[in-house]
Amino acid sequence: MAEVALRNVSKKYDEVEAVRNVNLEIPDKEFLVLVGPSGCGKSTTLRMIAGLEEVSGGDIFIGTEKVNDVPPKDRDIAMVFQNYALYPHMTVFENMSFGLRLRRVPKPEIRERVEHAAKILDITDLLQRRPKQLSGGQRQRVAMGRAIVRNPKVFLFDEPLSNLDAKLRVQMRTEIKRVHQKVKTTTVYVTHDQVEAMTLADRVVVMNGGRVDQVGTPNDLYHKPRTRFVAGFIGSPTMNFIPCGLQQSGAGLNLQISDKLSFPVPENRAPKYKALVGKELVLGLRPEHITEPRSEQRGSACEFTVPLDVVEPMGMETMVFFTVKGIEVCGRVEPSSAKGPGEPMRLYANLDHMHLIDPASDLVL
Amino acid sequence: MLLLIAPAAAVLVLFQVVPIVIGANASFRDWQLYNPKETWIGFQHYASILSDPVFLWVVLPNTFLLMFATVAISLVLGMALAHLLNWSFPGHRLVQTVILLPQMIAPVIAATSMRWTFNDQFGVVAAFLRQVGFGQMSWLAERWPSFLIVIFTDAWIWTPWFALILLAALKSLPREPFEAAQIDAAGRWRTFTHVTLPMLRPVIGVCVLIRSIDAFRTFDQVWVITGGGPARSTEVFSIYAYVETFLNLDFGRGSAAAIIGALIILVVAWLMYRTIDRLTNISR
Repeated sequence: MAEVALRNVSKKYDEVEAVRNVNLEIPDKEFLVLVGPSGCGKSTTLRMIAGLEEVSGGDIFIGTEKVNDVPPKDRDIAMVFQNYALYPHMTVFENMSFGLRLRRVPKPEIRERVEHAAKILDITDLLQRRPKQLSGGQRQRVAMGRAIVRNPKVFLFDEPLSNLDAKLRVQMRTEIKRVHQKVKTTTVYVTHDQVEAMTLADRVVVMNGGRVDQVGTPNDLYHKPRTRFVAGFIGSPTMNFIPCGLQQSGAGLNLQISDKLSFPVPENRAPKYKALVGKELVLGLRPEHITEPRSEQRGSACEFTVPLDVVEPMGMETMVFFTVKGIEVCGRVEPSSAKGPGEPMRLYANLDHMHLIDPASDLVL
Repeated sequence: MLLLIAPAAAVLVLFQVVPIVIGANASFRDWQLYNPKETWIGFQHYASILSDPVFLWVVLPNTFLLMFATVAISLVLGMALAHLLNWSFPGHRLVQTVILLPQMIAPVIAATSMRWTFNDQFGVVAAFLRQVGFGQMSWLAERWPSFLIVIFTDAWIWTPWFALILLAALKSLPREPFEAAQIDAAGRWRTFTHVTLPMLRPVIGVCVLIRSIDAFRTFDQVWVITGGGPARSTEVFSIYAYVETFLNLDFGRGSAAAIIGALIILVVAWLMYRTIDRLTNISR
């Protein structure tokens, strides 16, 4: 077990810079998730930690050792790949023990370690089968088993659940979390699925265009995003972004969304935004903060009425979609209070949770 | 629906089944071109061939030796070349084209040029050996040297075929098991023996099967280089059948030899197919 550090790490493919100056400090035993859209450089970063890609600039440390020029086999890492990467001609036991055999671990110890890992992952019955005789979920467990038996300093996961169906993905997510709680090894996990990132991570790194946009706990990223990209990427359905202006209104501030629609800025936020009066901004508001007005909110200046475009019942809640200034906005309401498509509905915007974004820099202000 | 395959079936029957039936029929008859009695003699030709010491102790061993040697040599060299071509290095395309040249030449031309290369008076090899101080060597006048030339020529012609197919197979292998092997601490040789080779097994199996069947009936190279000589010592099954049929003009005996050869290769191919099928199943 060890901490991992990336200092100004970058990766260039000819003229294309896939990863730019990434700095990360991953403490021992932490579960860190790299998340971002396709092509953001998260897998490349992971592969550089694994030693499968050379580093173009900067340094990578595992423990206290700089590993830039250390081959993958000597980095004491184990990796789980998206498509399992099992050896098709070997049995599950042989797959899991291959790395140990190559490292000349004594046979009784190999058996013990494989059986222990198989027990953790509940694949003891599968040890004599070949990969083609296993389901996707079982294969992924074997791939994890192969990593666990090595007892490495660092676990690396490269989108391990992407090939599984939705139900199995949720199951395996829990499984991975359970395994991490048991084996407590520093883990770097790559995914493009923000739900996976939020549920698994101690800390999440959001990457965009080869850079790190924000590092933080799942709650931090959700409630205090630093950029418009992070605000939009984390959370499902995604945050609403509505262009608006900020105006002085008596002692307070007013968010002018359209001629007919304006909301007062909550008093505790007004001093922070005072300097922005007169500027064109973007209001960021999550769907769960646009709801039907509850009893204490009735008559508030944040109430408004809009005709609904689309209504999506989800069971425990209903998504309502409407248009403001040509932009589709989503709200989350109680199923019993939802109106039908085309009908006007009274809604409430909870601005205590609002974010104001500078459209020029895309930074949350 | 059946009508749709009728043209193909007709061609198959006309040009494959009918000749085989005619050949099989001839093999049971006393049928020489200079004395075509066509009398039914049952298995006499078969018995005679299977008790012919030349067929049993020269032709069959030669045929199998040629088959095993050329397939093994071409496979090993083809695998090495495929690995070489799987790297990118300066001049890669040129090397790839040069390596593939033997495959583009007609076997008869390749064999003829090889025969001249090893000619004991005018050949390049003989000239080279003279230069480095060796005496004159009559390559084609002795059994094993001439047979070695046949094996060398056949392997030279077919190595590019193995290289090309194995290269395509290498390129189509998924990258991840190799990366997993890198992390699992497998060096180059271990990766080759424990990952590459097992994953290539299905392709290698099919290549070996196709090539073995083909090598069993090799004719042109042997005919052009040694003609089965000296003194029938390099004769293989196809030459035996050819000589019986077209030089001795004994259609009955020639057909029987061809059918015996076909039956032998059928059994060999079936055994190989079963082995390959088992290996392929494991590697999938």
